[in-house]
Amino acid sequence: MVAGRPAPQAHRRGRRIAVETLTWITLAVIALVLVAWYLTYSAARLDRLHAKVEGALAALDAQLVRRAEAALELGASGFLDPATSLLLVDVASTCLDRTAERDEDGHLRLVGLAERESAESDLTDALNAALTDQTLAELRMRGGAMAEELIDRIAAAGLRVQIARRFHNQAVTEVQRVRRKRVVRAFRLAGYAPLPETVEFNDELTFTG
Amino acid sequence: MRVGLVCPYDFEVPGGVQYHVRDLAEHLIGQGHHVEVIAPGDEDAGGPDYLTLCGRAVPVRYNGSVARLAFGPVTSSRVTRWLEQGDFDVVHIHEPLSPSVSVLALLAAEAPVVATFHASSLRLRAMQAAYPLVRPLLEKIIGRIAVSEAARRTVTTHLGGDAVIIPNGVEVDDFAHATPRPEWQGTEEAPTVAFLGRIDEPRKGLPVLSTAMEEVLRQRPGTRLLIAGPGDVEAARDRMSPEVAAASTFLGMVSDEEKAAMLASVDAYIAPHIGGESFGIVLVEAMAAGAPVIASDLPAFTAVLDGEANGRLFTTGDAQACARTILDVLGDPAQRARLRAAGQARARHYDWSVVAAQITAVYETVIMTADVAATVEEPGLWSRVVRPRKRTGEAGA
Repeated sequence: MVAGRPAPQAHRRGRRIAVETLTWITLAVIALVLVAWYLTYSAARLDRLHAKVEGALAALDAQLVRRAEAALELGASGFLDPATSLLLVDVASTCLDRTAERDEDGHLRLVGLAERESAESDLTDALNAALTDQTLAELRMRGGAMAEELIDRIAAAGLRVQIARRFHNQAVTEVQRVRRKRVVRAFRLAGYAPLPETVEFNDELTFTG
Repeated sequence: MRVGLVCPYDFEVPGGVQYHVRDLAEHLIGQGHHVEVIAPGDEDAGGPDYLTLCGRAVPVRYNGSVARLAFGPVTSSRVTRWLEQGDFDVVHIHEPLSPSVSVLALLAAEAPVVATFHASSLRLRAMQAAYPLVRPLLEKIIGRIAVSEAARRTVTTHLGGDAVIIPNGVEVDDFAHATPRPEWQGTEEAPTVAFLGRIDEPRKGLPVLSTAMEEVLRQRPGTRLLIAGPGDVEAARDRMSPEVAAASTFLGMVSDEEKAAMLASVDAYIAPHIGGESFGIVLVEAMAAGAPVIASDLPAFTAVLDGEANGRLFTTGDAQACARTILDVLGDPAQRARLRAAGQARARHYDWSVVAAQITAVYETVIMTADVAATVEEPGLWSRVVRPRKRTGEAGA
């Protein structure tokens, strides 16, 4: 009576295998999509962080240039004694020789970071040594409004250098943290972008405008 | 500049963060900037023109005290709308990780973000649980500000990275020009000392001062204690010894003018706080008004006073040490005169003119950073995988 019809169990088993395969395929596709989404998300996050570092570097560089320019002008103004003037002109122009440059990919980079750092530290030291309370008082007397304006510019740029450097280093540590992640390294999500470095130098100006 | 300030706590309720946001907004408006503030609160509560309220604030125990916070979908959509309509050059979020308007604004902000960390304690366990969620959010912040070294240390240890220290501001002249009131002024026999803060919040330290006052009254029976701050007066009186209760005058919640007048009148201002303070704005206000300051040696207070150069410190929570210091100051008019002068000079560092200039410098830096970052070309998928040809000749350094 049952001959001629396939065993119902076998039929069901076949369907079950088909359903199982389908489930596995679906799960695999979902997993792939999730992985792909996570990779794209991580890559975009990393790009944003790299862009932030570059923006912060540009801000830092701009303020460093302003600070050095104001120091150079003060050195060349003739309001200070010749020795101090020479010192300021010397260290400030060294700083101005080492500004950030764009690499072949159009990204802003600090070339010769160590030299730039020591030059900027030297400028801070020189400004602190030159602008004592006594010198500042004499400067204001001799130079009047022009000297006042230069002092203000140095103080303002000095403050912004401190702010910009901290924000830059903050952004750098964020990039470094994300780039240490295993996924990021395994899938080379950072591409060929060089690992950014923190900028370390003494930016503490002792005088206040 | 178009600046959007985000305050996580109810504007109606007094608090350090709220005052800071209000004063900053008004100072920047005075300098010609366009400033808007968003904070929790009922829409019909009113308030200044620049203030947008984003929904009823719910009292929540948070960070050791009761904070009135707002959250939920309605708040969230109001924050988003406020950000869109404001079209800000910079969004300045206070306490960016508080579970309130701040974190919602951080999530939704498209303009460059500055964040100020006020608290000197983050709840580490909660933070660690939330790290994966919070990290990408924190990365939206371009400029971090901490209000004190204590707040900065919290940021560096719990979140990593760094922050620029910019203190809270005080309208120094409002306090320096306050007129003393005779009824609050002390005499040689009956000197006056002042306490400011919530009287039923133990961390503000009234219990320590009450105990110290017992010893002070034994040595100088005429001494009067002026207590200004909200809270249950009867309960506070009951917690004091009868002698101290008799020597105490409760002023309740005082206006800004009364506070300045009180600080300008008294022979000493006592800050007996036992913890949870990240800055100590009252100390600056007291110094500005010319009150000799006696404070517990919390790191934040030590920093504001710059050691003992501009005030006196005693071991935190030690009522006997507190009493000794009060008696020493009350018995020495020359010392009081020196502390008054030193304090007034010190307070200038915290004047809003100085502080606002620093905050504006942060805004400029952050806007510049965001402008350049927006022009940076993102590498495509292809250049991520394949090194661009023009660089292949380069020797690896």
